[in-house]
Order: sequence, then C-alpha cells, then structure tokens
Amino acid sequence: MTSLPDVTPTSDDLERRAWARLFEADPDGVIACPSCDTLHVAETIAPGQVARCKRCHFTLIAPRRDTLNRTLALALTSAMLMVAMLSFPFLTLTRQGLSNEVSILGMIGGLAHGWYMLLAIVVAMFVVGVPMLRAAALIYVVWGLRQKRPPRAAREVFRLAEAMAPWAMTEVFLIGTGVALVKVAGLARVGFEEAFWIFCVMVLVLALKNASVCRWTIWTMIRERQE
Amino acid sequence: MMRASDFGWIGCHNCGAVHSKGGQTCRTCGSALHHRLPNSMQKLWAWLLTGIFFLIPANLYPLLSNEIFGHEEGHTILEGILLFAQSGDYLVAGVIFLASFVIPFFKVAVIATLALSIQHGWQLSPRLRHVLYEFVEFIGRWSMIDVFVVALLTGLVHLGAILAFLPGAGAICFALSVICTMLSAQALDAKLIWDGVTNE
Ligand SMILES: [Zn+2]
Ligand SMILES: [Zn+2]
Repeated sequence: MTSLPDVTPTSDDLERRAWARLFEADPDGVIACPSCDTLHVAETIAPGQVARCKRCHFTLIAPRRDTLNRTLALALTSAMLMVAMLSFPFLTLTRQGLSNEVSILGMIGGLAHGWYMLLAIVVAMFVVGVPMLRAAALIYVVWGLRQKRPPRAAREVFRLAEAMAPWAMTEVFLIGTGVALVKVAGLARVGFEEAFWIFCVMVLVLALKNASVCRWTIWTMIRERQE
Repeated sequence: MMRASDFGWIGCHNCGAVHSKGGQTCRTCGSALHHRLPNSMQKLWAWLLTGIFFLIPANLYPLLSNEIFGHEEGHTILEGILLFAQSGDYLVAGVIFLASFVIPFFKVAVIATLALSIQHGWQLSPRLRHVLYEFVEFIGRWSMIDVFVVALLTGLVHLGAILAFLPGAGAICFALSVICTMLSAQALDAKLIWDGVTNE
C-alpha cells in the first residue's frame, strides 16, 4: 500500500481531493482498513507479498500464488484428516494391567451425560465442529470460484467462514493434550495412537490453509463474478 | 493518513469496501454497513460483566477432581497449578498459570480499560490502545487450554477403580467465562480506537 503518488504529503487539501477523485473514478480502487478505517489504494501486489495497514498493520492484502487450488487442496486434506482422526484411537492409558484406549469421539461421548454435556458440547464444537464447518465453507466458496460459476450463496458462506475463525481451536486442544499428558504421566503409562499423530498433522494443515486464504483476493473474485 | 470517516464514507467492517454516505449493504460482501457498529459498547459491557460473573465461581469451585482408589479430591485452578509446581513440572505450571489465571483476569481488565478509555476519552495513546486490543484479540482462545485438559482427562482416564477424573463445576464456569470475554472483545469496534485522533 503506497500512498498516492500525485500527492504532496504537506497538503491536506490536495490529498483530500485526490482521494475523492480516486473514489469517484472507481470505488473499488480504494480500501478502508476494516480494523481502523484508514484509506488505502487497492493495488494488485505480487504473490507472497503482504500489504498491511499503514496505521494499525492489519493485513489488507496477502495474495498467494495459485490461491484457489492451494486453499481447496488444504481444506480437503484437513477434512479428510479430521475424518481419519475421529475414526482412530487417540491415546492409550495403561496401569497395573488395566488398559484404556480412547478416541476423540469416545471422549466426547463419554462426557455427554448430565451437566458434563456442556463440556462435551464445548469440545465437540471448538475442536471438531467449527474447524470442519469452516473447511466445508471454504471448499464450497473456492470450488465455486474455480468453476468460474458464481456460487449463489458464496458471499454469505465466506462471511460465515471468516466469522468462525476465532472459534476453531484445534491448536489450543493440542497444547491441552500436552498438559493432560503431564498430569497423568506419574499415574499411568501413556501410548500415542494413530489419531494423535493425525491430529498433529491436521493442526499444521489447518494453519497452512488459513495462511493460503487472502480475504481481499477472495472478496474481489466474488464481487467480479457476481456482477 | 486519511480515514473513510473523514469523507463521510462508510468502510465495510468486514471486507473494507468503501461506500458513499447512506450505504446500507456492502456491494462486495453483503454485510450491513455501519459508520460505527451499533451498540458496540453496550454489547461489550454486557458480555464482559457476564464473563466476570462466571470467572468468580470458576476460581472458587474445583476445576477437576481425581479419584484415586476411590478417594476423591477436587482442585481449583490455583490448586492445580500448585500441584504441577510441587511435582517439578515448572513449564506446565507456568503455562497453566498464564493461560488460566493471569490472562483471564488481565484480559478482563484490559477490555474494561479499553472501553472506559474510549467512552470517557481518556488520554491513552491510540497506539497503546491498539496494542492492548491486538493482545486481547489474539490471546482469548488460548485460555481454553484448561477446559480441554479437563475434558481430556475425564474422557480418557477410566481405569476402573484405580484412577478416574471428574470435571468440577469450575470447569464449565471457566469455559463460559472465556466464551463471554471473547464475545466481549469481538463486540468492540476497533475503529473507535482511532476516532478523534489527529494524525500522529
Ligand atoms: Zn488499519
Ligand atoms: Zn463488505
């Protein structure tokens, strides 16, 4: 985000007029930072580069090479990993000959009675539900954009996907697993099962997926395809 | 640096598209347009007070009980941290101390300070307010660590009569408190932080 080239920064009035001209010529040539309202010129920048807000450093534009395919691939991978993770055992505990093997679904199911249900809902939502819904929403939007066919509900679905972002807590759950392991370390022997390793990979894939989405690029595509 | 509001324009809170005065819906993303989010401060305070309301029992009631050979013992958040420290797991004790004790209280204090400084025009530098806002936005979800620990231990550890964990009432209060304070931080319109600030 460079400042306007034809503006002398000393003159407030000139800058004002320049912005007004720019906005009149093309309202989409201007971005107001969603976080602080500062105006920027919308410019296409090279993939891999990041344009941040001059005032608050909010990421405005961060295009990726091949963003649609990359996002689609990562979102599909994360969904498949989630399904695999849910169908395998997560950890095994052994003590004095007694052994207990639990999957994430088993853990949620085991909690789902009485008021423990609230805890089960929290885990099911933030660790499994929201990340999956978000991946599904992204797949829907990106798939539609790749087909050059404007997906009818793309705007609503992408807005929903973005709103869900703070509530996807897979990486927090992974740290929680570490803490829980320390807590039982002295009490029982712990074995890591398939689902644990799948979960670790999934956290990584989800992080890569989040980094491959440039909001501005997607919004611009949605707007242009819907016109 | 000029802002959309300097021209009476409306910048979409969701995607940043700029609209002229009087716009209702964003042409790009379809969100409702607002100069500043309506009732931002009322929502913030409502969620924050609810969060504080749950934070108190979250610290007074046991988070987790363990049942070793039929002997049940409950621990609050602070007692759990002490247990880790006593057994020499200082790293874990430190992480939980930060995530479950320091951050929840600090976060509530920061949101309240931000809100009061905006509402009463306190002379906090917008730069500082912005750093505080970023911190609260980033850190919110990490307080959930302890809730997940409780869920994992309860669901995972069922070794007959030898060893079992049971969630305490504190766990659900704590989870609700974290959710409420996250909603409180989200209710804040960050654009308010920079309003009435002349160029630095
Ligand atoms: Zn900004
Ligand atoms: Zn918008």
